Amino acid sequence: MVVLEKDTYFQQLSDAVVEMDEERTASVAAELVEKGIDAFEAIEQGLSQGMARAGKLYEDEEYFIPELLLCADAMYTGLDVLKPHLKSRGKSKGKIVIGVVEGDTHDIGKNIVKMMLETAGYQLIDLGRDVPPQRFVTVAQTEKAQMIAAATLMSTTMNGMARIISLLTEAGLRDGVKVIIGGGPVSPAFAKKIGADAYAANAIDAIRVAKELI
Amino acid sequence: MLLDQMTSLERMTAYNKGEKVDRLPCIPSVGNGAARVIGAKISQFRNNGALIAQAQVESYKLFRYDVVRIFTDLYVQAEAMGAKVVYPDDETAHLACPAIGDISEVGRLQPPNPYKDGQLPAFLQAMHIALDKVGKEVGVIGSVTCPFTTASFLIGTEQLTKLMLRNPQAAHKLCELSLEANLVWAEAILDTGCGVTLSDPVASSTIISPRQFREFAFPYIKRLISYINSRGKSATLHICGKTHKIWQNMVDTGAACLSLDNVIDMAAAKEQVGAQVRLTGNVDPSAIMLQGSVDDVKSAVVDCVEKTYDAPKGYIVSSGCSLPTEVPFANIHAMMNTVRKIGFPVTKGKLAEVKQNPLNGC
Repeated sequence: MVVLEKDTYFQQLSDAVVEMDEERTASVAAELVEKGIDAFEAIEQGLSQGMARAGKLYEDEEYFIPELLLCADAMYTGLDVLKPHLKSRGKSKGKIVIGVVEGDTHDIGKNIVKMMLETAGYQLIDLGRDVPPQRFVTVAQTEKAQMIAAATLMSTTMNGMARIISLLTEAGLRDGVKVIIGGGPVSPAFAKKIGADAYAANAIDAIRVAKELI
Repeated sequence: MLLDQMTSLERMTAYNKGEKVDRLPCIPSVGNGAARVIGAKISQFRNNGALIAQAQVESYKLFRYDVVRIFTDLYVQAEAMGAKVVYPDDETAHLACPAIGDISEVGRLQPPNPYKDGQLPAFLQAMHIALDKVGKEVGVIGSVTCPFTTASFLIGTEQLTKLMLRNPQAAHKLCELSLEANLVWAEAILDTGCGVTLSDPVASSTIISPRQFREFAFPYIKRLISYINSRGKSATLHICGKTHKIWQNMVDTGAACLSLDNVIDMAAAKEQVGAQVRLTGNVDPSAIMLQGSVDDVKSAVVDCVEKTYDAPKGYIVSSGCSLPTEVPFANIHAMMNTVRKIGFPVTKGKLAEVKQNPLNGC
């Protein structure tokens, strides 16, 4: 009986995220905490599940960037309610340093990739936009990250991506840190040319790639 | 370099009438790359109409393509309305901060005065100079960043896209205001005697849905184009990224020519809307033009021409978007020379011949 009730709450949470309903996400989250349902399970099976569904709708071109952004707002609202009640942290699937390379301040794509990777269970360190190559490498080293995800929308900044890889190599870190790249002007061929581990076409693809590499 | 037989204006005039031309029109969309032609740094263009004109005119003279576009980046109008733009030493400018942080500040926004605000006067000066220097042989155009995209620079893309769903009236208000700005800017451009080209990258189906395009982008573009048409000029409309589900809407804006990104299939565009509107595109500006070899450029151009040359309303060879600054000159020459070698009328035989033979002697 308890199992059934739990699942209903998770379903409601997931639906509220998909329906971009911040208030409902918060109220369902608060209610299930009150009932003593595990917050971690609620994040995994409610919120993340909702974002995964939103991601699928995005892939199917039912949802676009505006809808994804609002689903994320709902998801983060729910997360704020649930986080204080987390008893045990789930094991992170891996640490990823993410940022938009120097010379570019478009970050909507990066933000979506970040959020999808987070909801897929990775720990993200977000360096923001206009990030110098050295900073990716320094942070990956100090944080012991397994992956760097670098994005750009501007062809002028593509060389910064190659520079990240050469700096990693110089620092002797290349074997331990995977590099994935994405954004308008880059391509699988460019990823290959600069020696990146992979190219991700969009946020959903980034999850696939991360699962393969980490 | 192979030589053309006609000036660009002669070519475009004849092509528009369906008469014989020496080759298909070709526009490699050189932007800040023009700085490389005159050995200038991109930051020197800032507020310097004379230098922008010199660079664009010299670039035209070097490559002999079919329009001189007075363009550096998409932010000129938004900057004149208060957006903060960063100008790196030698790279294309980018948006640092939108004009307002929240929709409550919308009352602060005013359409710019094109003769006074931001860099707009410098751009008008550049148009006058370019017209004066080469206007008798080639079309000179100014660039207008369409209402939806300008609105995204005024409040930020994330905020604008959320407003569409949460507060559609506010989103419309921003688009309306951006349209007003566009109209005064287009008027000033047209008053110089230049033509106008339109870009609306944020309205792409890569970002917003076709339904959102129809509600928040389409009506404003349509009004802008109807003004341009009322001044006796036609407009080309460029939208980056995916557009296949909005092609018919793009046609319905009244645009005379659709400029399409390299992610779309020109054959499909021809099939769907080629009988209603001229098409231009779509050699990949990054993978081919920036990173490819001369031979890659040739193959890509032949491929585009093969798909589109028989479009009923005509076809202009171009890159899928503005070229990155550091595209090698050799690749721009290769694009032009491939089009020259294909010649006119385009035939299957000629295309096969150009495909097989290297582009030597150019």
